[in-house]
Amino acid sequence: MMTTLLKVEGVHTFINQYHILQGISFEAKEGEVSVLLGRNGAGKTTTLKTILGLTPASKGSVLFKGEDITKKPTYGIANKGIGYVPEDQGIFASLTVEENMKVAMRKDDEETLAKQDYVLNLFPDLKKFWKKDGGHLSGGQKQMLAMARAFVGNSQLLLIDEPSKGLAPIVIEKVMEAIVDMKKHTTIVLVEQNFMMASRIGDTYTLIDDGETVQAGQMQELVHDEQLKRKYLGIG
Amino acid sequence: MELLMNLTINGLATGMLIFLLAAGLTLIFGLMDVLNFAHGGLFAWGAYASVWFYALTDSFVLAILGAILTGVILGFITEKLIITPVYGNHVQQILITLGFMLVLTEMLKVVFGPNQIAARTPELLSGSWEIGDVIIIKYRVFIIIMGFLVFGVFQYILKKTKIGLIVRAGVMNKEMVQALGINIKNVFLYVFIAGAALAALGGALMAPYSGVIYAEMGMEFAILGFIVVVIGGMGSFPGSLLAAIIVGITGSYMAYYVPSLSLAVNMMIMAIVLIFRPQGLFRAKG
Amino acid sequence: MITKYQWNNILLSIIVITLFIFPFVIDSRSWTILLTQIFIFSILAMSYDILLGFTGIVSFGHAMFFGIGAYTTAVMLDRLEPTISVFMLSIATGMIIAGLISFLVGLMTLRLKSHFFAMLTLALSGLFLVLAEKWRSLTSGNDGFTFRAPEFFKDRIMFYLVVLVCLIVVYILLRRFVQSPLGHVLVAVRENEQRTKSLGYNTLHYKVIASIVAGVVASLAGAFYAISLRFVNTSVLTMDITLDALLMTIIGGVGTLIGPIIGAGVIELSQHYLSGLAKDYPIFERWIIFFGIIYILAVIFFPSGIVGTFRKWFSKKNKTNGKENKSRSAGL
Repeated sequence: MMTTLLKVEGVHTFINQYHILQGISFEAKEGEVSVLLGRNGAGKTTTLKTILGLTPASKGSVLFKGEDITKKPTYGIANKGIGYVPEDQGIFASLTVEENMKVAMRKDDEETLAKQDYVLNLFPDLKKFWKKDGGHLSGGQKQMLAMARAFVGNSQLLLIDEPSKGLAPIVIEKVMEAIVDMKKHTTIVLVEQNFMMASRIGDTYTLIDDGETVQAGQMQELVHDEQLKRKYLGIG
Repeated sequence: MELLMNLTINGLATGMLIFLLAAGLTLIFGLMDVLNFAHGGLFAWGAYASVWFYALTDSFVLAILGAILTGVILGFITEKLIITPVYGNHVQQILITLGFMLVLTEMLKVVFGPNQIAARTPELLSGSWEIGDVIIIKYRVFIIIMGFLVFGVFQYILKKTKIGLIVRAGVMNKEMVQALGINIKNVFLYVFIAGAALAALGGALMAPYSGVIYAEMGMEFAILGFIVVVIGGMGSFPGSLLAAIIVGITGSYMAYYVPSLSLAVNMMIMAIVLIFRPQGLFRAKG
Repeated sequence: MITKYQWNNILLSIIVITLFIFPFVIDSRSWTILLTQIFIFSILAMSYDILLGFTGIVSFGHAMFFGIGAYTTAVMLDRLEPTISVFMLSIATGMIIAGLISFLVGLMTLRLKSHFFAMLTLALSGLFLVLAEKWRSLTSGNDGFTFRAPEFFKDRIMFYLVVLVCLIVVYILLRRFVQSPLGHVLVAVRENEQRTKSLGYNTLHYKVIASIVAGVVASLAGAFYAISLRFVNTSVLTMDITLDALLMTIIGGVGTLIGPIIGAGVIELSQHYLSGLAKDYPIFERWIIFFGIIYILAVIFFPSGIVGTFRKWFSKKNKTNGKENKSRSAGL
């Protein structure tokens, strides 16, 4: 029986005066890829930001390894072992690839270095452009750097926001393979618009619409539920 | 030849003093998005503190260390009491830092009296060298060396240390830095204190250079500092050095040839930069 | 039943009438002069409120326009003849120059973000000060020069009444201005410039208009100031003038117009009182430090100043069952 790593319960979030999240609940089990699905503007990105405390919840709770992290500051949440790959990747443009990685590495111990070796094997491009400025990388390389960076920060949970966005199909394939590989070492919550991708690598899904959780379950069930897909994702 | 040499050295020395003030301004702005209008007050406090410590201890080294310590303490107080409560609100920031500038300046008059105070140059650095028919004033060379030294040390910290890395990353993307587990508030505090210490050091070095110190010197230098920050690009450390040298040398030459226009020319450079290249000449990429 | 609005008007009328008969009842030269000074600074502070309170612009160069008004009047009365008509002409000239300069400066600088704008206005006013110090043939620099005021103003009470009438007229006109559709756009700019822009307003135009209005009114204050002293020097262009306007506006209450008037009263009166105390306690020579501290506390804790805080307190008391007023405190 897999244990629940992250539990989001009835979360409400305001951004300025706008009530963006109006009741989000889902769980992420250890070693799984949980996918958040939903239309544009449904509140998927805000959900990730709320977990991380960037847009703190006004109601509800976020539990990580059983601990309530709802009111914690972002850096504290990150230090508990949550890594974040934002939609725009958040690469520090005038820092080199190496420096980008270094900012994220909390320690210099063997475990961290082993993690670094692992991600560099996963993304050989990063090793190739090790001394190059982050701003000069291609879109795919930036995505890989962002994922690698989140991973070396001693993360037990990765929040990845739309990794396929704006990438060529062949690059998407690479990113997907990497996520599947990383799953062996960490738990992943993924926001993904590309249903093809989501359905291939996701274990469970959570459907979000208008800031609310409307449905959740095993990915395999959703793949065969044409009605649900049509209603909330506009596909099928 | 002698004249050009002297004007250049003069300008470089002034430039270095402005740089010490502008360096803190630009780092604080780049990282925290705060334009500290009280920065000139820290500069003036540095000058007064050094003169006071010098009179007390009769050691110029201790005087400078005392000024830096004053800068650190004032920087800490300013960040905690003045900057943190209005973080993120530009209008309030501008208003409150200017108000604090007023308080800092007036406090100087309360503590040290409203009149000018004479500042002496240490024995070792007084006088001049004669090289051929060129006379070089020692203290000016000292300021220039100190300026480059500080630049070198800070550049090293920014490029080669973890905290420097975090500062540079923070200038580009604060949210991401926090998401990587770093408490940016602490980084803000360190940078603010460092900036305040640099300004105080600038004031301390300024005192023997001009011979007299007075409370309003803070605002006068702060304006030059703002000009430098704009020309150099907000948040760019090397940019502020280069711009400070430009402003210093322009000021020195203009003061000799067209004295009435010396400030005007620097103002004009700033206006032109603001109008045509508002990001400054060396804006940090982000 | 008298409504709150009527109460306000009755109260205001009583104060105005009191002020009008004051110099005839209390025969005190120093009080008349002090009150005149308060009126002059009220005009200046109100003009600053148009920028800070209603448009959300922080300018550190407001002394420029005050100085323009002061110098234009002083120079014209000195070079031409000290008559009322020259005085009127000088006021008009000062306003036109101030308007033109604030138009040019505004056009050039108001595109910039608040930080840069504040910085640039600070530097520009510094430049103006230097210019005035160097242009000795016109200004006599820091030494300044005395001049003869029109015969009409020799009577302190007459001058008092003229300034009071001007203050009232300016107040009414500025209130009209901020309540006009144009004034509403300014408030929208203050609240959210980006949104106002996306609604199709060219916010730069509106900001420039606000800065012209503020500049013109400030030059009027400067003209009266010069007359009140019958002397002018470069101190009218210093940062201190801008700081005075800023303190009065913030402490009185931004975005209220009446606040800056109260602020001017509070600051001028306490300045008068504190510098009296300075004879016994030298610390009070540095009276400005107290205002600096009060000002800082006001920015943090009472960003809406005396008037704003009072209004909030008043409306809370009155609206026990109504929907709570959630509008942000003006300007800050």
